[in-house]
Amino acid sequence: MKNILYFVIGSFFAPSFLWAQQPSLNSPNVSANALFLYRNSNFASDDLSTTRNGIDLEEAEVAFYSDVDPYTRLNILLSLHPEYEVNGTKVEKSFVLEPEELFVESNQVPNVTLKVGKFKATFGKHNYLHTHVFPFIDAPLGNTQLLGDEGLNDAGVSAAYLVPTDWFNEITLQYLQGEGENEEFNSPTPSDGVGLIHWKNLFDLSEALTMELGGSYAQGKNSIGGTTSLSGGDLTFKYRPIVGGKYHSWIFAIEYIHRNLEQPVAGARSKDEIAEAWNIWTKYQFAERWSFLLKRDEFQADGADSTLNTNALNNGHISKTAAAFVFQPTEFSSYQLEYDLTHGPSNSKGDVDEKAIYLRANFTIGAHPAHSY
Amino acid sequence: MTFFKYFIFTFIFSLNAQASLKVMTTTSDLAALTKIIGQDHLEIFAVAKGTQDPHHIEAKPSFMVKFHNADLVVSQGLELESAWLDPLITGARNPKIAQGTQGFLELGSQLNPLEVPTGVVSRAQGDVHPGGNPHFQLDPLRMGKAALIIADRLSQLQPENKDEFQKHAKDFKTEIEKKTKLWQKRIQETGIKEIVTHHKTLTYFCSRFQIKCDIQLEPKPGIPPTASHLLDVIHQMKEKHLKTIFIENYFDDDSPQKIKTQISNISVDRVPVSVGGEPEIQTLEQLYERLISAVEKAAQ
Repeated sequence: MKNILYFVIGSFFAPSFLWAQQPSLNSPNVSANALFLYRNSNFASDDLSTTRNGIDLEEAEVAFYSDVDPYTRLNILLSLHPEYEVNGTKVEKSFVLEPEELFVESNQVPNVTLKVGKFKATFGKHNYLHTHVFPFIDAPLGNTQLLGDEGLNDAGVSAAYLVPTDWFNEITLQYLQGEGENEEFNSPTPSDGVGLIHWKNLFDLSEALTMELGGSYAQGKNSIGGTTSLSGGDLTFKYRPIVGGKYHSWIFAIEYIHRNLEQPVAGARSKDEIAEAWNIWTKYQFAERWSFLLKRDEFQADGADSTLNTNALNNGHISKTAAAFVFQPTEFSSYQLEYDLTHGPSNSKGDVDEKAIYLRANFTIGAHPAHSY
Repeated sequence: MTFFKYFIFTFIFSLNAQASLKVMTTTSDLAALTKIIGQDHLEIFAVAKGTQDPHHIEAKPSFMVKFHNADLVVSQGLELESAWLDPLITGARNPKIAQGTQGFLELGSQLNPLEVPTGVVSRAQGDVHPGGNPHFQLDPLRMGKAALIIADRLSQLQPENKDEFQKHAKDFKTEIEKKTKLWQKRIQETGIKEIVTHHKTLTYFCSRFQIKCDIQLEPKPGIPPTASHLLDVIHQMKEKHLKTIFIENYFDDDSPQKIKTQISNISVDRVPVSVGGEPEIQTLEQLYERLISAVEKAAQ
């Protein structure tokens, strides 16, 4: 582990020619991304809170990708991030290095992209985004509460079929190991996997306006022996005018996730935890390098029972409103100033409203692959 | 009998339609050039429109569908499309157009690119293209050579139409060479020796018509104008008595308008730098003619 850490740190400080060079047979494309975050939250003022106020390295990512041969492409994405743990009367900080994604993809199969390895599952719209392209500082409540801190990210196989229609019409089937960090699918039986289907459609309503419509469903055994089913839908409109598109654009997105988690009761009918979440957000680019974002996020859980499930959610309602300005000097750096107001479970002082202000700086070097539309 | 004739006509027409090559070009200029060579034998679609900055096109999945059905991709190369072409080709799931195959043609490196950086290249220098300036579409003679390269590739993909492709390409090259001589004469007559541009888009045009284009409103390639850099531009324009600013049509003209308040009698023209950059610019010849006229107008 230490060797990998030294390699990653070494890569950051490697001479500039490493980043400037053209990909060759002997060297894969290499890129790195660093996120720095300043946080000031009334919920993080507690000395024993694992969410810390102040400035911190939020995450660093190093990616390597290249064709293996005419048939396959290898992608390796390592993530380095701090982790805080309460130890008696102290909060201890350590750094965690882990493979965020590590998979091979097919190059030569007509109509289908086959993938095997560890990857972010194609569930919904937000789950497969990397942290540095999140529109807001935090993932939506539905993703953090229902898919876990790291999202639905697991080892498995995937096939994404481009259906031959006039519009973009893709059906993705995935089978995941079900042993990731997601207790909703983390069955103790090794042979229990997770099946997932995702359907993505994108329509050009005009040359400037697109509409994306997606649906997802996943099912598998959970850590307490029941079945968890997740379903989701997403709708995104993107507008960038053909004339003046460098200076103005607009995004409107909505995503919904529903989770049904069976909580088996010995000798009785299972008691299900039902949770659902939706978020709606918009981004308006009002100048070449400036954008404004606004989000409303809602989450509701019922039927969760901590006597049956040690990882049970808190029953009740959480809502969040977020507003942000983004300044993007170039495509390789950005600064985001964000204010979040979250209404939900109380902290140790009995506050139910978390007010947080963030400033995030985002930097990318190297041959970073383009993000999905 | 009439029905039979109709059936035969439809059958032959559909065979002919199936035989046409589907070509994706990254820019509208390459689409216009490829159309001249392939004419009715091709179905052509350009990703970047003439009013869009070709460095920053969004990789829309709907483009992937078009790439999926393509037989050939023609790109400018020299990293002009590096931000968006790879995901489109990968997402297309079409092995025929993978880089390095017959279905992928990159022109820039074959056309003796200008401004190839020497020494260490870093993003501290802005959006520098390690292979050289990719905006060769504004040099008519390089586009003449590009026509021959495209014709060769089309001939490989559709050998039955080889003679036609080669003839159209050679005719275009001969014609554009003749016109370039006339355009060079007209530019010479204007007496204009230097112009200011927003980005280094007009480098090849300037080189071909012996106009200096060393001053840009961008402090570094891809970096929007800053107040201090504009002051420097104003100082240089005054010192050299420069009176002409060409703004590529996908940039706004806020910066030149600021300069205009500081230097009297300068001309600012928002010029198209690609086919389709203005509604009436539908061919490469019209594009070049528009730019030549813009220089002439600036001289008046």
